[in-house]
Amino acid sequence: MSDLLKPASVVALIVLILIAPSIQDRLSEETVRFVEDNESAHDGLPTEWEGKQVMCIHFPASSPHDMFSQGVTMIGTDGSDLGVNEDLNRTGACVGGFDGYSNGLDFMMDSTRLANGGLSVGYDVGQWGAFVHTIGGLNADTLTGDFNGAYWQLDHNGEYSMVGIGDLVMSEGDVITWSIGTW
Amino acid sequence: MYDFHNAALSPIQSLLLNIAILSIIVISLIRGERSLRDQSQWGMLFLLAVFGVSGRILLGPIPNVQPVTVLVLLAGAYFGAPRSIALAATIALASNVLLLGHGPWTLFQAIGWGGVGLLGALLANRIVVDGDVRVGFLAVIAAISGLAFNWFVSLSILLEVGPSMLIPYLLNGLVFDLYHVAGNVLFVAWMASPLGDMMHRHRSSPSFKAVIDRVPN
Repeated sequence: MSDLLKPASVVALIVLILIAPSIQDRLSEETVRFVEDNESAHDGLPTEWEGKQVMCIHFPASSPHDMFSQGVTMIGTDGSDLGVNEDLNRTGACVGGFDGYSNGLDFMMDSTRLANGGLSVGYDVGQWGAFVHTIGGLNADTLTGDFNGAYWQLDHNGEYSMVGIGDLVMSEGDVITWSIGTW
Repeated sequence: MYDFHNAALSPIQSLLLNIAILSIIVISLIRGERSLRDQSQWGMLFLLAVFGVSGRILLGPIPNVQPVTVLVLLAGAYFGAPRSIALAATIALASNVLLLGHGPWTLFQAIGWGGVGLLGALLANRIVVDGDVRVGFLAVIAAISGLAFNWFVSLSILLEVGPSMLIPYLLNGLVFDLYHVAGNVLFVAWMASPLGDMMHRHRSSPSFKAVIDRVPN
C-alpha cells in the first residue's frame, strides 16, 4: 500500500499544481455569481458611469493623497478630470466609464495608469495570488495607529471581496473600491 | 550600498532553495533525534515543533502543502492529546509570528490543529497497530483532517463578514483545500513510517503507558 502511495501522491500533487489555475478560474466564475449587482455602488459617481466599470481608491484621513486630498476626484477613460465630489465624506479618486473588462487585475492596472502616476499600484505575487501593498504611494504596511495592522481592502460592488484582485471576475457596471482596512 | 541578498528568484527557484534548506533542517533533526535519551518526549516534541515551523514557512511557495497536519496527527497518536495540542498551538503561533502573519486566525489554526491532534489521540489504536503506522488508514484520516481544518479556519472570516459570504468563500477556496489534502497524503506516504519509528522510541514514559492500558480495544 505505502509503496504505491509514495509515487501516487507525488503524481497527484504535480497534477493538482498543473490543473489548479483552470479549476480556480471556474470556481472564481461561480463565486462571482454570489456577488449581487449592488446599484448603490454607483452612488456619488458621475451619472454617465451608470452601467460602466469603475475603480475607486480611497485614502485614510491620516494619510491623504497629495493630489486627491479634497473630496473624490472623478477621472474619465481618457485621463481627463471630470470634477470632484466633495460630499462623499472621504477623499481619493475614481477612474470610470470602462466596458468589457473581466480580469480584475488587468482593469486595475489599466485604470490606475490614467491618473498620470498618481495612483500607481505596487503588488507582490505570493502564495494566494496578487497581493496589493501600495496604491498611489501609500504602502499599507507603513501605517501605524490603534490597530495591529493595515492592508488595502478590496470591495466589489460595495461588498467585501471574497477573492483577491487577481482572481476577481468582473462584469459590466462593476465598481471596484480600495480603501485601508485594519485588524 | 551593496545589496547582495536582493537577487530576484523565480517561484520555482525559491521553492528549490527552500526545499534545500528544509532538507538540511530535517537531516539535522534526524541526527539530533538519535542523541536524545530514549524517554525524552519533550526533546522529541521540540524537534517536531522546529520541523513544523520550518516546514510551514519554507514550503510557502506551494500553497497549503506543509507537514504540520500530519505531524500533529501522528503526535496525537503517539504522545496523546494534550501534548499534540500544545505542539499544534506552538507551531501555529510561532510560524505566524515569525513570518506568516499573526491575527485572529491564529486562534482558529491552533484550535483546528489541536482538534486534529485530538483526533489522532482518539484513533491511536487504529493508526498504530503492533508498533507500526498503518499508512493507508492514516492517509485517509489525514485527507479528511485537511478538509476539516481548512473549513474550520475559514470560519474566522465571520469576524469580518456576514454568514451569507461563507459559502462563496468556501467555494472559492476549494483548490486550496485540495492542495492541503494532496500535501497531507504526500507527507503520510513519505514521512509517516520513519516519523512513527522515531516517535515510538520516545513514547515509553510510564504515565503514557498507564493511559494506553485503560483504552479498550
